[in-house]
Amino acid sequence: MISILRVIKFAFQNFWRNFWLSIITISMLILTLLTVNILLVLNVLSDQTTKFVENRVEVSVYFNKGVTDIQAANAADSLRDLNQVRDVEVITADEAIERFRDRHANQADVLKSLEEVGENPFGPTLVVRAKSVADFDLILQALDNPQFSKDIRERENFTDYKTLIDRVRTITSRVRLFGFSLAAIFLFITLLIVFNTVRMSIFIHREEIGVMKLVGASNWFIRAPFLLEIVLYGLIATVFVAAVTLPSVAVLDPYFSVYFDGPVGILSFFQADVWRIFALEFGILSLVSMTSTSLAMRQYLKV
Amino acid sequence: MARRKLAACSWQRVAGKYFKKVFLYVIRKGLPAARCQLHASHMIKLTNVSKIYPPNILGVRNVNLHIRPGEFVSIVGQSGMGKSTLAKLLFAEERPSSGKIEIGGWDISRIKDRDIPLLRRQIGVVFQDFKLLPRKTIAENIAFALQVSGERMKRIKEVVPQVLTIVNLGDKAKRYPFQLSGGEQQRVSIARSLIHRPKILVADEPTGNLDTKNTREIMELLKRINEFGTTVVLVTHNREVVNALKKRVVTVENGEIASDVEEGRYRL
Ligand SMILES: Nc1ncnc2c1ncn2[C@@H]1O[C@H](COP(=O)(O)OP(=O)(O)OP(=O)(O)O)[C@@H](O)[C@H]1O
Ligand SMILES: [Mg+2]
Repeated sequence: MISILRVIKFAFQNFWRNFWLSIITISMLILTLLTVNILLVLNVLSDQTTKFVENRVEVSVYFNKGVTDIQAANAADSLRDLNQVRDVEVITADEAIERFRDRHANQADVLKSLEEVGENPFGPTLVVRAKSVADFDLILQALDNPQFSKDIRERENFTDYKTLIDRVRTITSRVRLFGFSLAAIFLFITLLIVFNTVRMSIFIHREEIGVMKLVGASNWFIRAPFLLEIVLYGLIATVFVAAVTLPSVAVLDPYFSVYFDGPVGILSFFQADVWRIFALEFGILSLVSMTSTSLAMRQYLKV
Repeated sequence: MARRKLAACSWQRVAGKYFKKVFLYVIRKGLPAARCQLHASHMIKLTNVSKIYPPNILGVRNVNLHIRPGEFVSIVGQSGMGKSTLAKLLFAEERPSSGKIEIGGWDISRIKDRDIPLLRRQIGVVFQDFKLLPRKTIAENIAFALQVSGERMKRIKEVVPQVLTIVNLGDKAKRYPFQLSGGEQQRVSIARSLIHRPKILVADEPTGNLDTKNTREIMELLKRINEFGTTVVLVTHNREVVNALKKRVVTVENGEIASDVEEGRYRL
């Protein structure tokens, strides 16, 4: 027990005696942890982006001119029966021409040619949204049913959306990979810096260590302060990063929510698991830096 | 409800078991009690001991040496002949390349790293350079040695004045090493080597840095420690010291024992 207290005391002494070395090491640990947390935020954001884009994907189905709104509504109903369909909006022929007019309000020539046609050239339109983008193929197959297909003039080309979504997915996975690589690189640098810190700390304390060995201090007692010091660094870094990350996320969350036009969930992601996230980060950081410390001690302490 | 209680119980049992294991481990590693007490008979026994430093440097060769409890043995010889090597083998700073070293019946030829502290607590070691910590007072220097070997505060408070009195430095406890003469610093280092009441004291040229007066003081001190029953192994190449002692002299030449005489003189 008394030894444990002394180990703690020595660890703190080491900390203060190499104050600048400690600060540098802690800064590096902070940098690594911040990267990891930025990576986490990016992860949530990219999930949201994909979902956002997917939710926005809608395929319009144009009926022939003269198809009644009731027929269109029937088709819509039968689509709604499908599990995979999120919702179907029916745009009547009148609404369609209104929308067309709105869209081209300041293009006089377009409106003029519409006048020239005289009657409403549009049929009703269905706007289909799927629960999952992957289901579109299936849903649209349902419209191949001859009951409807004869009335359908045109189907928006779904593959355009597919490539768009694929592109979003590629970008987000690249962002993820980049963030992950960055975190890995930082973790590796952390390893090196911790190694060097311990090496220098051993060098600074070589006289004490020499005396310790001479008078029969146990190897455990000589090593433990270094390990504890490193764990202390990790703890300080984790607390600091948590203290920076949580408020930042709280501030940023509303901005992102506005951008995404709905709750983005970064804050709730951190709130739900705050202990687990930071405990895990602390654990992994400690593991890595203790490994590095052990390596340095094996190399330079020779006990 | 009962099941939850049961689960909690087993969790506690597992945690308790684990804690006990960790606790025992810490106790064993942190506070090695006298797991291996040295037996008084056959205090130091070297049988065919050789030490070859890498790549191929001769330290000592074929040394057979038997030191009985309570003896005062001087190891003499010219520079580079292997005296310090011999001393280092005794407190396991080096391990022999071949042969057998027994200390108090404990074969330390292949001693494990984790057992070295146990040995060091039973052998006091003194060097030519005193190896005192410059930023600690002499009392703190000695207290540090006790602290790091896991002694209780109460015992530290007892032992520090005791050993300082033995070396006659009780009045200078609060001074820093640089405020002491070389002889006084060496006395502090001897005091430190006594904290565990060692049965053996190994001194490698303890008077190497000292003038005649201080040398005589240190020698008186070592003799007194020996009279109290500690086996003393003194490495030196100081002719006067050896001649004045009139104790056993072992002469080392080219890594071998060239002569071993009771009540010997320094002859080269
Ligand atoms: N760690 C080492 N590695 C390699 N060679 C060593 C080492 N220590 C000592 N030696 C060599 O072993 C031989 C004996 O050295 P040792 O230190 O035992 O001599 P010594 O008798 O104590 O000399 P001195 O009186 O100068 O202290 C020398 O040739 C020395 O160079
Ligand atoms: Mg020597």
